[in-house]
Amino acid sequence: MSSPAEALLKPLQIKHLTIRNRVMSTSHAPGYGSEGKPKERYQLYHEEKAKGGIGLTMFGGSSSVAVDSPAAPWNQISVADDSVIPFFREFSDRVHRHGAALMIQLTHMGRRTRWDTENWLPTVSASAAREPAHRNTPKEMEDFDFKRIIAGYAAAARRCKEGGLDGFELSAAHGHLIDQFWSPSANRRTDKYGGSLENRMRFGIEVFEAIRAEVGDDYVIGMRMSGDELIDDGLSHEDCIAIARSYAERGLIDFVNVLGGQARDHLAHAISLPNMSFPVAPFLHLASGIKREAGIPVFHAQRVTDLATAARAVEDGHVDMVAMTRAHIADPHLVRKLMEGRLDDVRQCVGAGYCIDRIYVGGDALCIQNAATGRERSMPHVIPKAERKRRVVVVGGGPGGLEAARVCAERGHSVVLLERNAAPGGQINIAAKATWREAMSGITRWLSQQVTKLGVDVRMGVEADRAAVEAENPDVVILATGGRPNRGDFKGADLAVSTWDILTGAVEPTGTVLMYDGTGQHHGASCAEFMAKRGALVEIATPDRMVAEEVGTTNQPIHLRELYKLNVVMTTNHQLVEIYPEGNRRVAVLRNEYTHEEEERLVDQIVVELGTLPNDGLYFDLKDRSLNRGQTDLDSLIAGRPQPVQANGHGGYTLHRIGDAVAGRNIHAAIYDAARLCKDI
Amino acid sequence: MIATALTTVVLAVLAIGAALAAWQSRRWLAGRPATVGVVTGLRALPGRYLVDVHHVVGRTPFNARFHALVAGGFLAALVLLVAMGVAIGGSRILWLLLALVLAIMLAGALMVRHRRRVLRPRELSQGRFARLPLSLLGFSGCLLLVALDQSLGGVMPEALALVLIAVAGAAMADLVWGVWKGPLKHAVHGALHLAFHPRPARFHDGKGRDTGLKPLTFAPAEDARTAEPGSLGVERPVDFAWNRLLGFDACVQCGRCETACPAYAAGLPLNPKKLVQDLVAAMDSQASDAAYAGNPHPGRGVGKAHGGAALPLIGHDAMIHPDTLWSCTTCRACVQECPMMIEHVDAVVDLRRFQTLELGAIPGKAAVMLEELRATDNPGGRALARRWDWAADLSLPRLPAGGSCDTLLWVGDGAFDLRVQRSLRALVLLLRRAGMDFAVLGEEELDCGDVARRLGDEATFQSLATRNIATLNARRFTRIVTADPHALHTLRNEYPAFGGSWTVVHHTALLLELITTGALTVTKPVGRSVTFHDPCYLGRYNGEIEAPRALLDAIGVERREMLRSGLRSSCCGGGGGAPLTDVSGERRIPDVRMEHVRETGAAMVAVACPNCALMLEGVVGPRPEVAEIAELVLAATETAR
Repeated sequence: MSSPAEALLKPLQIKHLTIRNRVMSTSHAPGYGSEGKPKERYQLYHEEKAKGGIGLTMFGGSSSVAVDSPAAPWNQISVADDSVIPFFREFSDRVHRHGAALMIQLTHMGRRTRWDTENWLPTVSASAAREPAHRNTPKEMEDFDFKRIIAGYAAAARRCKEGGLDGFELSAAHGHLIDQFWSPSANRRTDKYGGSLENRMRFGIEVFEAIRAEVGDDYVIGMRMSGDELIDDGLSHEDCIAIARSYAERGLIDFVNVLGGQARDHLAHAISLPNMSFPVAPFLHLASGIKREAGIPVFHAQRVTDLATAARAVEDGHVDMVAMTRAHIADPHLVRKLMEGRLDDVRQCVGAGYCIDRIYVGGDALCIQNAATGRERSMPHVIPKAERKRRVVVVGGGPGGLEAARVCAERGHSVVLLERNAAPGGQINIAAKATWREAMSGITRWLSQQVTKLGVDVRMGVEADRAAVEAENPDVVILATGGRPNRGDFKGADLAVSTWDILTGAVEPTGTVLMYDGTGQHHGASCAEFMAKRGALVEIATPDRMVAEEVGTTNQPIHLRELYKLNVVMTTNHQLVEIYPEGNRRVAVLRNEYTHEEEERLVDQIVVELGTLPNDGLYFDLKDRSLNRGQTDLDSLIAGRPQPVQANGHGGYTLHRIGDAVAGRNIHAAIYDAARLCKDI
Repeated sequence: MIATALTTVVLAVLAIGAALAAWQSRRWLAGRPATVGVVTGLRALPGRYLVDVHHVVGRTPFNARFHALVAGGFLAALVLLVAMGVAIGGSRILWLLLALVLAIMLAGALMVRHRRRVLRPRELSQGRFARLPLSLLGFSGCLLLVALDQSLGGVMPEALALVLIAVAGAAMADLVWGVWKGPLKHAVHGALHLAFHPRPARFHDGKGRDTGLKPLTFAPAEDARTAEPGSLGVERPVDFAWNRLLGFDACVQCGRCETACPAYAAGLPLNPKKLVQDLVAAMDSQASDAAYAGNPHPGRGVGKAHGGAALPLIGHDAMIHPDTLWSCTTCRACVQECPMMIEHVDAVVDLRRFQTLELGAIPGKAAVMLEELRATDNPGGRALARRWDWAADLSLPRLPAGGSCDTLLWVGDGAFDLRVQRSLRALVLLLRRAGMDFAVLGEEELDCGDVARRLGDEATFQSLATRNIATLNARRFTRIVTADPHALHTLRNEYPAFGGSWTVVHHTALLLELITTGALTVTKPVGRSVTFHDPCYLGRYNGEIEAPRALLDAIGVERREMLRSGLRSSCCGGGGGAPLTDVSGERRIPDVRMEHVRETGAAMVAVACPNCALMLEGVVGPRPEVAEIAELVLAATETAR
């Protein structure tokens, strides 16, 4: 195979539109919309990718075309009236300035939404078939609904064209209205819109015909669809090929954007947005199958995280455009780095799903490892040089410390990084030991490679103390010393071991094990899975209403699937209140959160996960000797100003604490702490 | 008696010398015919000697000085000696004058001795040349005594004087008869070579920069069977034009070419001095390199090469090994340094033409590349439309047939390369920033033919050249701008022979113009230490060494110069198809060049040629940054948005 550049840096011509290369980002919903409009934050997020060399960036996942397909609840875009057009114009100017193409996704979600928001209208669909994911039973569409919604699609299409967008796609995937008509699982009609595939395709065809009549044959229009719904009563691969062919042959669509699966339940949703437990490009074959038949350009996204895979997908003829959406969230300058021969510098998506998991609980999309994504207004993706070179000592080689060292080195400072362990990574090294969570190590790999490349003086196996830090004569000291397991303060807590003990191999899981998880994060669930895989009989108990309750919707189903497969007993709504010994064994006392009744478990081992407590010894040794007495000025930090100058007349260093060394949180928090502070040092 | 003896000896030696030279001329007269202006050449001779040769010789002042003393003294002495022969008996004034010029010569001879015995530069040949100080000292010293004595009235015993004359005569014979394979050969052949030079345009009185390569005439297909075998390029010594053979014979083995050659420095099997000496030796019927007493082609011994005037020159056991032929980067460093104005590179291309066109004996990846080039008109074998892939988002205006624009941008084959695309993008953005009216040819742009020509594939070169010329002549523009010095040289200097003549400008000259006229404003001076690596085809081939430097100064770099820079710059290793023929040496040529960069302590080396960018960026390990000059200008003229 030739280089990724050869395959990917090749323009694609669709009608009048030339897309400069084969790498794109699919429409998604980062939750950056404001009042239904793509305003500055949204635009800057996509502009960064355009600057970074992307060929086509598509925004506005599930942008709605009608009032009964609400957009506002998850901060998305409504194309249901003309007020959006000026924002489109501004947006397309911004992206075109950097040579990229810009498109949007339009849709009517049908039953795949909620009725209890925005306009409080009942949802509609082909049939009154309940949708599990949104817990709603739609109204079966009647004649005027068809007319209204089709007109809505056409009007929205016109707004895209008037807004200067290069095109759009209609979503007929993930169980939106058009594919609700296609799929026998949701369409039970007996009129001309139901029954045969030809009938089920009719609604979508009418939509596209109305759109074509509105915007003409020259405008680029695509369709996002599944290549196989992967359910018994859904669309097969052959059905999907037939649909794609039919729509393409009618001249209704100029490209088809193919994905695998659908999203009507929790696991299906997780599968359609594959996390790190999946191989790369798991559904490329579905796009390839459609490519063979459809006769129009095929786009495809789904866990294409590296350029080599992307190049293979294009070069081997599976697809025409390869979407690296999450890969761009991790590194919006992916293509530029490819063009500059800097493949090593690409911050590769690890598939943690942190970005997407946040949006399904109403948050904004943020990258677990790149703190600048979605924060382009305040956080630079390319760190500018500082005016004055400083001496910086960073203590701790976890994600926070590595990011602090990286950003400081990018600023041009002279940086020393001291890490107690023999290898960098901190807690990520522990997390990555838990079966499919292995890919977490990618975060460390990139950071430590960058730090080395930037010439940071990295000293591993060095226990930093006051003398060691001060011997470096620093201007700034950043403590990213992380945390240690919180063992809890219940009676008999010393009889339990931590998830760290298990995952690092310090304690071998044996016999019957109770995994008590007080955080609801990945740690407990993944440790339980790890122990079960090593042969232990595991029960996981949690005071939450479900195991791994804090884990998002693309990851939690995978945890649950694996735990069920391994016969791990899941006990919810129980608090661990006491442990006492019985012979060589342990008795755990679990108290029901609601009835306060107590149950006991006689087990060989009890493992607890209660987060971390900060390693702050060094901090308190240095605090009173530092210029700022360890205080980070929060107003300056948030405003993006340098920390205030502390003049005491005799020099010295300023001291900052970041990440879990302050309070146990997560990787993104540690990295954001580091990048936000250090970009202004 | 003394004067008579002396005159007799001098005249006899000179007569024999003249006979030897005449006999010698048979060797180079055996070459193919060449058209030369005999009268104009002879008339130009003194000027060429005094200006062009002295310009080269003057670069090493010590050598220039001893040469002036020795040669001047010797020639003057000969004139006086002959004059005394005419004015039998001589006068004391003449003797005094003779003593004076001999004293001058003696001083020079002592310097020659000092150089050969004390300084002993590595590049000097030994063998016959080792006797040179002795002969010079013998002639000038002995005769000086005689002349002084005679000018004082002759107090020396006659026998002693005759002995001194005999010694001086022997020394003189050694010198003069050196026109036959000895040091003095260069005087006669050098003078004739200056007069009948195959590339007269190179001299100060010539047209200026040009190509030395003569277009080959290809027989129409129906005549191919009757065409004389071996008519394309040079197979045997006698296939060279006679004035080229004469040029080789002028070589004085000073070794300046050897010192300048990048292939030699990297230990590739090419020593340009030995190459020329191989050609000289090959003019004999039973030729061998056994008598050669200089440094060999690196990695290859001396004494195993055999050949003859009518025998093939290139071969594993022939006078020149194929690896030697294909090691040349055509950088012309040897040509630039040669005080005898020998055209090594043109000889190399002539020899390659035969290998490529008649034998198809092309080494390494060069054969594959030429095949791709013939099939697709670009060296990578890609669709021509792909030349513009990198610019899909730049919407470059295309210049259709019949259309016109101010500046035509010739992007070259670098446009297929990821690295070069970056600098081309920078150039386009600069042209836009400066508000230039420019366009490109689009798919009509073919490879310019440079590499094909250097590799000896004249047929492919001509095919590309004639089609490019037709394309360009069908459009109107004020000038062509290119960032590729190879395209620059080819379009500017080699296309005229095929009917294409336009103003062709290197982008460094254009960018300097844009800054000077204020179309571009320096907003962010670079402020870093930068050294400039001159592209051979911009510097030596086209004499443009000032514009890039002025440009770097204008964008505020702290400019440092390498020891080898400007017209005497050292090649990156990327010319002449060398990266394709890929003859291995002890090191890579770009590694050697990067050493020169490192010696300056500069943080960055600026390049102005796609080949240089690729070669120098290919140097592994920690090294100064490599930046194409347009990239630096782009960053320095950034406007706030």
